[in-house]
Amino acid sequence: MVILTANNLHKRYQLGKNNFVHALRGASLEVVKGEMVAIMGPSGSGKSTIMHLMGCLDRPDEGHVQLSGRRVDNLSGRELTKIRGKEVGFIFQGFNLIPTLSAADNVSLAAEYAGTSRRKARDAADAALADVGMGERLNHKPSELSGGEQQRVAIARALVNDPRIVLGDEPTGDLDTETSDEIIEMMRKINEDNDTTFVLVTHNPEISDACDRVIHMRDGQVTDS
Amino acid sequence: MRTIRNVFRRKLRAFLTISGITIGIFALVVMGAMAEKITLLVDGGTEFYKDKVTVTEGESHGLGGDPMSVEKIRSLENMDEVAVASADISITLEEEMSATFGMPDLITGTDMRGQDLETFPISFADGRDLTTGDLGKVIIGSDLVKKLDGRVGNTITVRGREFEVVGVLNKTFSMPDKTVYMNLSDAQDIFYETLPEFIRPNLDKTNLATGGTIYPTPGTDPDQLADKITAMDNNLEAVGPQKFQDNIAATTGIFTMIVYGVALISLVVGGLSVINTMTMSVYERTREIGIRKALGASDGMIIRQFLGESGFIGLMGGLLGLGFGAITISLLNKWGEASGNQIFLLTNRLVIGSVVFAVFLGVASGLYPAWHAARMNPVQALRHE
Repeated sequence: MVILTANNLHKRYQLGKNNFVHALRGASLEVVKGEMVAIMGPSGSGKSTIMHLMGCLDRPDEGHVQLSGRRVDNLSGRELTKIRGKEVGFIFQGFNLIPTLSAADNVSLAAEYAGTSRRKARDAADAALADVGMGERLNHKPSELSGGEQQRVAIARALVNDPRIVLGDEPTGDLDTETSDEIIEMMRKINEDNDTTFVLVTHNPEISDACDRVIHMRDGQVTDS
Repeated sequence: MRTIRNVFRRKLRAFLTISGITIGIFALVVMGAMAEKITLLVDGGTEFYKDKVTVTEGESHGLGGDPMSVEKIRSLENMDEVAVASADISITLEEEMSATFGMPDLITGTDMRGQDLETFPISFADGRDLTTGDLGKVIIGSDLVKKLDGRVGNTITVRGREFEVVGVLNKTFSMPDKTVYMNLSDAQDIFYETLPEFIRPNLDKTNLATGGTIYPTPGTDPDQLADKITAMDNNLEAVGPQKFQDNIAATTGIFTMIVYGVALISLVVGGLSVINTMTMSVYERTREIGIRKALGASDGMIIRQFLGESGFIGLMGGLLGLGFGAITISLLNKWGEASGNQIFLLTNRLVIGSVVFAVFLGVASGLYPAWHAARMNPVQALRHE
């Protein structure tokens, strides 16, 4: 079953007054439910942009995006916000945890944004953190955690609302090789155990090796999937 | 908790911003307490004047006027509209007018002819009311108890003469608090000696007054009566309720506006500092806002978060300003108690109003930065370094 479809996407960003970047020039791809897919390509090939559009963070200038059979590129900002909260999980490079919040609060915040009550959100956060082996470090601030630990918290945060799809932007970008391998293994295990769909934008060949399929991009187009 | 942690993420900046609001609210509370006291004084005056007319002769000095004769005041009782005309003497308690803030303490002597018609509510904390036979006796206002050591039964010295205190009034937050009441003839003795020696021989001491209090007959409009008295004898200055409002309340109203104006200016400065702080905070946390939006935070949630933080800054500044203000007011009032000069009054509405206003100021100042944060494009916010 196809869970995510990107069809002929175009996106231009304006940097200066007459300075446009044509980030996507007719990119198309499909992701099947339960797949773990890597998107690879040189810098500027549009792989982050396509991830943002698939994750409902932005809208394409042209083309369609479908998530679970529903077209999302023409939805209002309010509806996109709801989809981001409930149906998509994000893992970013550099972890992107909120520095003033504990591990548990970082995770439960995502559940609260999705509409879960504060108490239930906290329970869900504790469970999600236990699943990624962080059950002992619930109340630590990000600054008190190692890079690998922070990325585990970020993974728990991406999974806490049981999303249809998890999108990762260079999820191992700031990690050393050993920790990077641990994180890849963990994502693979979650994918296999829970049938969670992963789409990971990366430069790291270890990730692409671990994935079911690799999508290559160049100059704003998908060259090979 | 999360709000508090976010506010104190930059401790020095949070402290400085809260201090800005604190100073503003402090000014509002202290100056507002001064205005509240004056307002009460005026309200008391308005209450006192609401059903009567006061008459003075020649130039009015605000407190009584030039000497006039008791006979002339009593003759007003010949008018149909006048029930009783009582002759009074009002002079300052101190011989030298010292530079005090607010109203000076007074001596009021009255012939008590209007006592039965008086509607101004006065009650006794201790002792009893004065009667016409009580020569050498006084009742005093509550602010003067400490200053004159005037407990019931004590003998106090007023303008060099000794009087026995027979009653102490309850606090009215108005003119009676600062007044020594005595019989007209006692006041005539005192007033006579304040007059220049060369005019004394021509005066009948028992016919001396500084003004009269005219109680109209039921159904008579005191303002119309005042106009009629002035029209009848243009040496007489008759003040009814409306004119009192126009004269006194209007002037003190301007004073009150100045007082609140100064306080408001300092609050505008505090508000600008909150805007500055929140704008900086939003800018620094651009990436965090991007993360929150990626996680599904709606615009409303982002706005609520930042308004919560700016409102909290306002609340802290409000509580601290109120606290410092209340301490200052109580110290100044304690210090002024000895001289019977308590010029501050911290009313409930001022307490509640100042804190509510501080929170409102914080929230209002946070509106633009919060709106700006909510409107950010999540992709651009996430790219922000």
